[in-house]
Amino acid sequence: MKTLRIISVFATVFFLLNACNDETQTDLQKPEIILDIADAFPQNCDTLYFGETFTFKALFTDNFELGADNAFSINIHNNFDHHSHSTEVTECVLEAVKDAANPFSFIESYSIPEGTRDYETAITIDLTEGDSNGVFDDGDYHFFISLTDKEGWSVQKGLSIKILHR
Amino acid sequence: MSRLIMLFGMSMLCFLGNAQNNLILTGKITDEKGRPLTGASVILFPGNTGMLTDEKGTYSFASLVHGKYQITASFLGYQTITDSLWLNAYHVHDIQLEYVPINLDEVVVRDNYAESRKKSELLSVEVVNDEYLKQNLGGSLMQSLERLPGVSTIEIGSGQSKPVIRGLGFNRVVVVENGIKHEGQQWGADHGLEIDQYAADRMEVVKGPTSLVYGSDAIGGVIDIKQNHVPDKNSLVGEIDLTGKSNNQLLGSSVMVAGRKEWFYAKLQATVIDYGDYKVPADSVDIYSYKVLLYNHHLRNTAGQEQDLHLGFGILLPQFQSRFYLSSVNSKSGFFANAHGVEPRNVDTEAHDKSGRDILHPYQKVNHFKAINKISWQLGKAALSSDLGFQHNFRQERSEYVSHGYMPPELPESLGMNSDLEREFDKYVYSGALKMNYRHNETTVFDAGISSEIQDNNIGGYGFIIPAFKQFTAGAFLIAKYSFSERSRIQVGVRYDYGRINTRAYYDWFSSPVDDDANETEYLQRGEDLIRRFSNFSWSVGYNYTPNEWMLKVNLGKSFRMPIAKELASNGVNYHHFSYEAGNPDLSAEVSYQLDAGAEFHTKKMAIGATPFLNYFPNYIYLNPTSEHDRLYGNGNQVYYYLQSRVFRYGGEIHAHYQLLKSLQVGVMGEYIYSEQLSGAKKGFTLPFSPPASAIINLKYLQDKLGFVSNFYLSLDYRLTAAQNRIVPPEEITDGYQIVNLGSGGGVEVGKQKLEVSVQVQNLLNTKYFNHTSYYRLINLPEAGRNIILNVSVPFTGKL
Repeated sequence: MKTLRIISVFATVFFLLNACNDETQTDLQKPEIILDIADAFPQNCDTLYFGETFTFKALFTDNFELGADNAFSINIHNNFDHHSHSTEVTECVLEAVKDAANPFSFIESYSIPEGTRDYETAITIDLTEGDSNGVFDDGDYHFFISLTDKEGWSVQKGLSIKILHR
Repeated sequence: MSRLIMLFGMSMLCFLGNAQNNLILTGKITDEKGRPLTGASVILFPGNTGMLTDEKGTYSFASLVHGKYQITASFLGYQTITDSLWLNAYHVHDIQLEYVPINLDEVVVRDNYAESRKKSELLSVEVVNDEYLKQNLGGSLMQSLERLPGVSTIEIGSGQSKPVIRGLGFNRVVVVENGIKHEGQQWGADHGLEIDQYAADRMEVVKGPTSLVYGSDAIGGVIDIKQNHVPDKNSLVGEIDLTGKSNNQLLGSSVMVAGRKEWFYAKLQATVIDYGDYKVPADSVDIYSYKVLLYNHHLRNTAGQEQDLHLGFGILLPQFQSRFYLSSVNSKSGFFANAHGVEPRNVDTEAHDKSGRDILHPYQKVNHFKAINKISWQLGKAALSSDLGFQHNFRQERSEYVSHGYMPPELPESLGMNSDLEREFDKYVYSGALKMNYRHNETTVFDAGISSEIQDNNIGGYGFIIPAFKQFTAGAFLIAKYSFSERSRIQVGVRYDYGRINTRAYYDWFSSPVDDDANETEYLQRGEDLIRRFSNFSWSVGYNYTPNEWMLKVNLGKSFRMPIAKELASNGVNYHHFSYEAGNPDLSAEVSYQLDAGAEFHTKKMAIGATPFLNYFPNYIYLNPTSEHDRLYGNGNQVYYYLQSRVFRYGGEIHAHYQLLKSLQVGVMGEYIYSEQLSGAKKGFTLPFSPPASAIINLKYLQDKLGFVSNFYLSLDYRLTAAQNRIVPPEEITDGYQIVNLGSGGGVEVGKQKLEVSVQVQNLLNTKYFNHTSYYRLINLPEAGRNIILNVSVPFTGKL
């Protein structure tokens, strides 16, 4: 009988500890990158041109609050070796595999005002013709967007694009 | 059966107070023909004192008190005998042991050992032997131990895994092999333990803080691996193990030969393992949002191989033993090709899918060399021991050069760098320890020791994550044990540690723009010359009470952990989950306070027990994903910083078994852990890689003889794992799952040769499920599908 009592005391303590953990409100949802708003740009399989500028337009949302400092990043790098694929459903037609000679590369991160839930981007990106090594290689590029929320949840989108010389 | 007799015997123990002191118990251990057995182990309960017999086979315990005792005599190759006796005067008790033809079949011996360890250890401890490992053989040593309650693994692929005890892993668990702390590369979860599971004879898992004996890092617990089987005098023993697995078409073999001539022994073991890609019950996987098609369910490029060599030798005299262990563990294994680098990648599927056995880029190659000497010396009331060790860990991670950050598109030849050497780590470790056990009198025992370790770490390769560093640690401890009676004991211990870590400066080999116009470029500094010193005073107090069928224990302790190089100074891309990791040079040494309790009730037919714990960290170190992105190095990856926060954890394990019939036992084991961060950026969140609640319901059928099979067993495990809904970025909620594992085996005689066969079917129903604590969970890879594992052991013996 004494045995049973001791076992039941242990079991009760164990289950009480279990039961009294009231869930604190923690954000378990990732932010979203929405590319199907009007004028969202670029879209998967779009073509951009060197020597021109374009405006990156997308809608970012989060259930609580988007990240602030450097909360999203844009990265454009060559996909001449076809290493990247897009996160989108549509498949784009890629050019033949080739070696990179002077590929264009762009990595930049941007901030969002604190306390924002929905944010529409309007970032102007300048695709220069070339650099000190000459003109940039044209062909398949990868347009990579990464977004975080305040808690550090992150979401990515990868688009296949072409950047050509006019 | 004899284990039950033993338990029953123990429960019959009764204590008589007011005892007469200074009694002597002596006797002779002989074989069935009356020849003395030298070096046989004799253990006396209560008191849990042990000794080895001398060259005449005699043993002698002095300063005993009046009362009832249990004496257990064991010798490798002989049946273990346990006798009860009543001591009230000078007593002679001789024991004759019966020869058991198969030298390595000594379950009985080690079960007694396990029982006595469980009784004497103040924390919860699990003891398993090589037989358990063979019956539960997994892809790596840790996976073979995963069935134990409170033990889980953080794994990557089928052959690499790191131990996790009650939710704490990485450098919070110490792995000790032959008395020396195993030191692999610290930084990555993808680095498995460089330990050959075929060479392990006995393993102990201590759940709870053990900083007192092991120093820094043992906050979560210890896994102590021993290779201590030695043949009896003038004999030769050996064993050939053959293993096959269906899921990844693994073939493995290990051959061991050991011989002993009087006091000198030598042992040689070689292991070869080769396996293919492992298969999952899915046609495609979803790495973040990137969908990857799988060919024939193969997880592309997860094949691997391992070659290990061990040499042990030494001298064994009654008062003095010196043992040497040399080992070289070598492995090469592939990483899942689509998920390595700065982003999920398309790969050359034609090259990868041609064969399921080849290892292409990216892969890792590791060599771990160890040389250990262990001396024990009996000097009157004191037992001295020393451990000396040297380790060299050399690891390369090879992957085709991928320019990221402002690296040039092709690797310039002028730098003389290897174009596929992504990272290289080269570690030298020198360690030494001196320990003394002093039996002051029958009631008071002291343990004291000093230990030190020096590490020298170098790096190479085109990708940077942690700088080269040097590390020095030293510590001293004193533990006192006092027995109020043989059922009631207290233990108090203190320890002081000092540590120093020195990281070396590192500059990029390529230049990056430092102003907005990209006109000015610089070779960025990623690692600084940093010297940090740490010291800590740890302590523990424990009490254990073992009346009749009960075993009750409680322990309170403070333990600590020095921050490691990656926590202080990492600064680069983690190619396994596309993140940027940044160290924090200001971290303080992590401290943990833990209260452990244990209660077990056992009778001849059943046992039930629980081991709960409460744990508080004022400054837990963890990797915090922030909302920032890196601009200069990776691909615009999310930045993770090492931070410290207050953490509260509790949980525990339960276990029970009941003997339904003479040959049928039903058992249940369960574990639960709750963690919460009480401060900092992730206040309210749990800790990363928190294991979900889980339970195993087991049915085991045992028969001494079934047809032509001896020691037949059939075991069914029904594993229930709850969903893990408590997560922290970047984790995903993981659904619960139920899987069924089957195991069966026994001894079979082919002609005059005995074989030990064990068969397992893991994931019998080929269930697709995700393991929350797998590193591959972060990229949505399911666990292996149905896997049939066959192991055959061929033991042999001879005279020398």
